[in-house]
Amino acid sequence: MVRRRKAKAAAAGQRRAPAALPSPASSSEDEAPEEVAFGVAREAAAAERKLVGEAARRHRELLKEKRRRHQELFAEQKKRRLLPEAVLQELQELQDVSTGPAEQAAADDPGEELEAGAVQLEQGQAKVQKKKGKRSKGARTKGNYVAVCLKDHSVTGLHQQLAKDFLNAQLYGPHTNRVQANEFFSLANKRASVKKAAVQFVDKSWGQDKKEKAARFKKRWLASQIKNGL
Amino acid sequence: MGEFQVHRVRFFGLVPAGVRCIAYQPRGTRLALARTDGTVEVYNFAANYFQEKVIPGHEARSVESLCWAAGARLFGAGLGGDITEYDLAGLSVGRGVDGGGGPVWSMVANGTGTQLAIGCEDGSVKIFQVVAEGIQFERNLDRRKGRVLCLSWHPSDTHIVAGSIDFFRVIDVASGQTVQRIMVNHHVEKAKRECVVWAIALLSSGTAVSADSFGRVQFWDWQQGTLAESCAVSTSAVLSLAVSEKEDSIVVGTSTGATLQLQLLPVRLGGLEKQWVRTKVFQFHSHDVRAVAHSPTALISGGLDAQLVIRPLMEKMQKKNYDAVLRKFIFPHRRLVSCARKARLLLFQFSQYLELWRLGSTEETGKDGEVLPLCRMPEHLLQLKSKGPEHIYCSSVSPCGTWLGYSTASRFQLYRVHCDGDGVSLSKVPKVPKLLPPAYQLQFSAGSDSLFVASARGSVHVFQLLEPGGCKHLHTLRPPSGCSEAVYLLAPSADGRWLAAVSGDWAIHIYNLKCFKHHCVVPRYDCAVSALAIHPTTNNLVIAYSDQQLSEFSIPEKQYTGWSRAVQSRGLHRLWLERDSPITHITFNPKNASHILLHDTFLLCVLDKSLPLPDDGAILMNQSTLKQLPETARKRQLHAFKICKKFQPLLFMDLLDKNCLVVVERPIMDFKTQLPQPVQQKKFGT
Repeated sequence: MVRRRKAKAAAAGQRRAPAALPSPASSSEDEAPEEVAFGVAREAAAAERKLVGEAARRHRELLKEKRRRHQELFAEQKKRRLLPEAVLQELQELQDVSTGPAEQAAADDPGEELEAGAVQLEQGQAKVQKKKGKRSKGARTKGNYVAVCLKDHSVTGLHQQLAKDFLNAQLYGPHTNRVQANEFFSLANKRASVKKAAVQFVDKSWGQDKKEKAARFKKRWLASQIKNGL
Repeated sequence: MGEFQVHRVRFFGLVPAGVRCIAYQPRGTRLALARTDGTVEVYNFAANYFQEKVIPGHEARSVESLCWAAGARLFGAGLGGDITEYDLAGLSVGRGVDGGGGPVWSMVANGTGTQLAIGCEDGSVKIFQVVAEGIQFERNLDRRKGRVLCLSWHPSDTHIVAGSIDFFRVIDVASGQTVQRIMVNHHVEKAKRECVVWAIALLSSGTAVSADSFGRVQFWDWQQGTLAESCAVSTSAVLSLAVSEKEDSIVVGTSTGATLQLQLLPVRLGGLEKQWVRTKVFQFHSHDVRAVAHSPTALISGGLDAQLVIRPLMEKMQKKNYDAVLRKFIFPHRRLVSCARKARLLLFQFSQYLELWRLGSTEETGKDGEVLPLCRMPEHLLQLKSKGPEHIYCSSVSPCGTWLGYSTASRFQLYRVHCDGDGVSLSKVPKVPKLLPPAYQLQFSAGSDSLFVASARGSVHVFQLLEPGGCKHLHTLRPPSGCSEAVYLLAPSADGRWLAAVSGDWAIHIYNLKCFKHHCVVPRYDCAVSALAIHPTTNNLVIAYSDQQLSEFSIPEKQYTGWSRAVQSRGLHRLWLERDSPITHITFNPKNASHILLHDTFLLCVLDKSLPLPDDGAILMNQSTLKQLPETARKRQLHAFKICKKFQPLLFMDLLDKNCLVVVERPIMDFKTQLPQPVQQKKFGT
């Protein structure tokens, strides 16, 4: 019954559709609508319905997939927030059993891992409670570390750097008319009654690698000469 | 003098640090100086301008301003934000108090020396109280935006003027409020850049003097807020300013290295109206003059070319004598080079590392004045970096060349040097006895079997050096009457029996090393000792004072020698006393017992005690004339001082063996090219 209605509706829609199909520009009011066979129309409707159904189904699948992936990601993140299994196990054991000397020794290791873990991860409510619980029960008798508060170097270093930059900019900035030392000290040589060359006429840094290579070769050659001589 | 082969060493690459700030002690004769590497030095003007105290710097320390407070206490503040007191007796830096406002740009003490005002990066001016234990924060004055670069108290301590960027303001100390704010950059056309007020001063007449980065010195009536006078002093920035105590003379330093004096002179002769006039211009420095001071009789300036220049004012001088001469100090007044005579090694002390070099050698001989070719070049054996950011106080190498030691403010390290073939290796001596650092002077004994360490409170530690590499504390020698200052010079005798030590109060104590007892004290002379040494055979202690006096004290007899009395009664030659730099090293000739070799920065001298002393009429530097005279005439003109001025500027001189000298020179142009950039000087025709 519903199927017939659906088919009727589809057919009607289809009948109506071809009626709406011709474009208003090219249609002429006096032409009769096209004749379409019922079977063809039914198949066309079914195909279209199937297509739409497929598309909807695919869309639904996609959404499901996305949702599933998100769930996994959240589960993963949630798992990462918690401590490794081993540690949790040991903590559980610790909480169950009263503080004995055997546990103390074991407490140090998971204790340290706990510290490390706590520093790296964000604190969850459960962990805080566990930590608190651990702390109140398992106080260490021998601390093998000392916590000190270091002087905060970051802010003073930044201020000092800013101050030095300001000083540098004011004294050696672009408007200060500074000149190279060579040029400055060679003025005297230029203006003397007996003109001399510039102060750094020969730059000692020219050909550094060549000089080094020559020195190394000389050393090797001398060594070989001595060896041959002997 | 004899024939000497001279090893002329110029590979000591010392680059002195520039002078950043100076402070003249208000009612005293001392000058404190801080360099860009954090070193603080104190010069004693009464002791012939001798550099009597040096506190080495620190990698992270920058001193932006120094001031004397409460008499003889020295405070410094820098970009680290701390205010530190310098312990001048112990030559160290005390604990710092955090200013609380970021980097501190300037610090000034009030007239009575009881309060310090600091100007900080955040624009605040804070007042600190000087108390017996240190300083205590008192209160904050009004804070405005803009870093406070310079400060000055009014002579009556009622107001403080704070210079900033583009403006300066006057603060009433009692209420802490800013009473006047004056903009400085109004009168400059095309002012695209900001006008930085580098230095400021407040005169008792109600005038504020400002020096800014446009090269102007301006006089303001701060109560009215008007500009009274403006002097365009330079085309580049004016960086420093100092006012004399009588407030009739101002000295300013500029970026080009010029120092200018402005004086308050009457407009008409005998008239009442006075005006500030630029009177003298000096060009002593090649780089920026960042620090000036005005003493009652002299203008003092320090520049980034590492020079400290003291120019006495002629109108303040009563007599025309050597006191009125210009003085320039570049190199330190102490030894930075140690020599291992037998191994022919030189140890150079830099601020954060040491360099060990072996001297070259030659086979040739030649005539006077010839340059001989080397058959083996000098070798750079090793470079030893000091651990930690602190700078080195002292270093030494043993005469045999196998022990090396140095000390910083918190460490004392001793090493063994092994030279095998062409390789050099260093091994640290373990278990060095713990002593209170720092060590102010290190000296190895002549036989390389003990080490003497100069310490605080006049004490000297004696360590025994053990083979193959160990060190044991034997004894600590102390002066009998106690001493608050640190020992800064040591001299052991060659036979290992005596040790002479000079502490900061200029008392010379002699100790007997065989029984570790105090032997005697040399009679007190009211001047600093710049060098001393004990003769190897006669055990006479030769002392050179900073006012160029020489004396010889016989240790076994506990009195001055006859030759010394003759020198004191005759008096030394005028030219000898009128030298600029103190004698920093005394050594002897093993083959000739009457020879004493000394050197200062500009000459080296062989003193022959067997020859007559010159009187004032004789020519002191007569070596060149003597060479040309025939033998008989030469004998008549010979006198005890045989001076050679060929090697300048000298940092060290020593006798290696009977006819071999080593001189370490540092030509000034060699390091000037490594200093920061100077300001261009346009000269016509170049």
